[in-house]
Amino acid sequence: MRILLIEDDSKAASYILKGLSKLGHVGDHLTDGRDGLIAATTGSYDVVVIDRMLPGLEGLAIVRTMREAGVKTPVLILTARKGVADRVAGLNAGGDDYLTKPFAFTEFFARLVALTRRPPLDARDTSLTVADLEMNLIEHRVTRGGREIELLPREFNLLRYLMQNAGRVVTRTMILEHVWDFHFDPKSKIIETHLSRLRSKIDKGAKRGLIQTIRGTGYVIRPHT
Amino acid sequence: MGSIVYWTVETSLDREITTNIEAEAELLQKEFKSEGFDELVRTVRDRGTFIPALDYLLLDGNGKRVAGELPYMPPAPGLTEMIVPRSGGPNYRYRVLALTLDGGIKLAVGDDIGALIEIRQAFLKALGWALIAFLALSLLGGMLLSRAFMRRVNAITLTAESITEGKLAARVPVRDTDDTFDRLSNTLNRMLDRTQTLMESLVQVSNNIAHSLRTPLGNLRHMLEEVRGRTKKDQATIDAAVNEVDTILETFSALLRIAQIEAGVRQSGFREVDLTDLFAKVTDAFSDLAEDQGKTLVAEIEPALRTWGDRELLAEMVASLVDNALRHTPKGAHIDVTLQLKESLPVATVGDDGPGIPEDERDRIFDRYYRLQRSIDTPGSGLGLSLVAAVAELHQMKLTVGTNSPGLQMTMTFPPNQ
Repeated sequence: MRILLIEDDSKAASYILKGLSKLGHVGDHLTDGRDGLIAATTGSYDVVVIDRMLPGLEGLAIVRTMREAGVKTPVLILTARKGVADRVAGLNAGGDDYLTKPFAFTEFFARLVALTRRPPLDARDTSLTVADLEMNLIEHRVTRGGREIELLPREFNLLRYLMQNAGRVVTRTMILEHVWDFHFDPKSKIIETHLSRLRSKIDKGAKRGLIQTIRGTGYVIRPHT
Repeated sequence: MGSIVYWTVETSLDREITTNIEAEAELLQKEFKSEGFDELVRTVRDRGTFIPALDYLLLDGNGKRVAGELPYMPPAPGLTEMIVPRSGGPNYRYRVLALTLDGGIKLAVGDDIGALIEIRQAFLKALGWALIAFLALSLLGGMLLSRAFMRRVNAITLTAESITEGKLAARVPVRDTDDTFDRLSNTLNRMLDRTQTLMESLVQVSNNIAHSLRTPLGNLRHMLEEVRGRTKKDQATIDAAVNEVDTILETFSALLRIAQIEAGVRQSGFREVDLTDLFAKVTDAFSDLAEDQGKTLVAEIEPALRTWGDRELLAEMVASLVDNALRHTPKGAHIDVTLQLKESLPVATVGDDGPGIPEDERDRIFDRYYRLQRSIDTPGSGLGLSLVAAVAELHQMKLTVGTNSPGLQMTMTFPPNQ
C-alpha cells in the first residue's frame, strides 16, 4: 500500500510513518500544502492522508483541488479539532473519511485499510458471503450453512457492516459511525452487548466463531484459514 | 410650604393686634397723666361710640365701672386672654391689656380676637384644600415620574437577571441623556464589560491548557503503543497507562467540546432533525445493554416529529441522558423514554424509578465536575450532564430535572422546526 502523508506536525507524522513501515507499507511524507497538492495529483498512491492545518495550502483546499482535477484517490482527513461542522466540511470537500487527533494507530490503520479496499459501490450486489454465512440484502435474510438465523434490525445492520468489510478490522468508532450514526463515544458497552448477541446467534452450533475481537482495536469477520 | 405661609400670616396678624392694644393703652395712660381722670373717662366713652375698633373698661378707685363695655376686669395687670361664653355661638374672645393707674384706677384695653380665629379657620380651610390639591397633584406627578423611574430600574433588573441566567453579553440600555440613570447604566455596563472579559479570558486559559496538553498527551499515547508493540512484558501496566491517558484525553475533549458548544459556533451547522428517528436509534442502541443489566428500557415515540438543530449533538445529549439513567439505577429498574407533541412543540422525557436526585442537588447537576454526594465513587468525569446542558442551551431548549415519583425525570422541550 503506497501512502502519501501531508502533515506538518513532525511527531504525529513520525508516529504514523513508523507504524506503517512496521506493517510493511511505504509512506511518502510532505509537510507543505503546495508540495502535497503536486504530489497528490501527479503521484500514484493508494490513499492520501491530509492534515487540515497546513502551511502553504490548507488541507481542505488540497482535497477540493484534487477532486476538481479528477483525482479519485481516497482521502483520509486528519484534524485536531472535533465537531460536526468540521467533519461535514471535510466530507463535503471530497474527503472520504475523517479522523480526530490524537488517535490510536490501530484506529488510523483500520480506516486506511477500509478506504483502500472500499468495494466499488455496486447496486447489483444482492448478497454478502463469509465462509458459510450468507446475507441476502434484498430479502434481509441471513443463513449459516443453510440454517435460517433470525436477527433484529440492529443486529442485521451490524452484521452487514462487518460483512461488507470482511477480512478487515473495523474499530468501535467506525461501527458507531456506520451502524448507529453516532459521532461520539457513548461510554457504554453498547457495541460489546450487540456483538455478543450477534455472535451467539450466528455462531450457534459452530465450532469456531466467525467474528473475532482484535484486542484494543475492534472486530473482524473472516473465514478460518 | 403651606404651614410657613400660615405661620407668617398668623404671627403678623397676632402681633399687630397686640401692638394696637399696647399703643392705645399708652396713649390713654398719657392722657390720664396730663389731663386727669375726667378727661380719660370722656375719651374712653367717645372711643366706644365713634371708634368701634377696640373695647375698653375703666374702673374708678372704688372698682366701679365708669366707662367701657368689656365684661370684666382681668384680675392681674398685663396682657391676658379673656373668654366670654355666649349662648348659641362661638365664645367671644378678647385679648386684653390691664393697667392700674394712680389712685387705684384700673384701665383695660382689649380687642376681639374672634376675627383672628375666623381668619385662622378660613385660612386653615383654604390651606386644607390646597394641601389636598397639592397631594393629588404630587401623587399624580409622582406616579408618572416613578413610572419612568421604575421603567429604568426595571431595565437594570432585567439586565441583571439575564446576566444571572448566563447571558453575559446583556447590557443595561442607555438613553444618551446623560442623566443620573445614564451615568449609573454606563458604570454598570463598564463593570459588566470587565467581568465578561475576565470570564472569557478564564475560559480561554482553561481551553488553551486543555488544547495544548492534548498534543503531548497524544504523543505519550503513541509512545506507549510503540512500547506495547515492541515488548511482551508488562502488557497489563502498559494497557492501564494507555487507559489513563485516554481518560485524560476524553476529559479534555469533553471540556473543549463544551466550550465549543457554548461558544455557539456549531449553530451554523443546524438543519432539520428527524427527532423520531433519533430517539428510535438511541433507545434501540441502549435497549440490549439495559436488558443485559437486568433493567427495562421502554420507549414511546410519536412518529414524524422534527426539530431544528445539530443532529449529532442532540443524539449525544439523548444518549448521555439514557446512559446516565442506566448508570445510576439498580438492577430491576425501569427506564422510560417518551417523545410526543405538546402544545405544538416536541417534548421528550427520560425517566427512571431509581434513587432520584435530592431536591437541593437538582440545580447543580448540570455544573461542570459536579457529582452527587452519593456517587462520588462511581466512574465518570462529571462532565456528561454539563455537555447535556450546553447542548440544550445551544438549541435554546428547556431542560428540567424533576421527580418521577420515585426516581428521576428529565424533560426536554425542543425548539420548533424552522
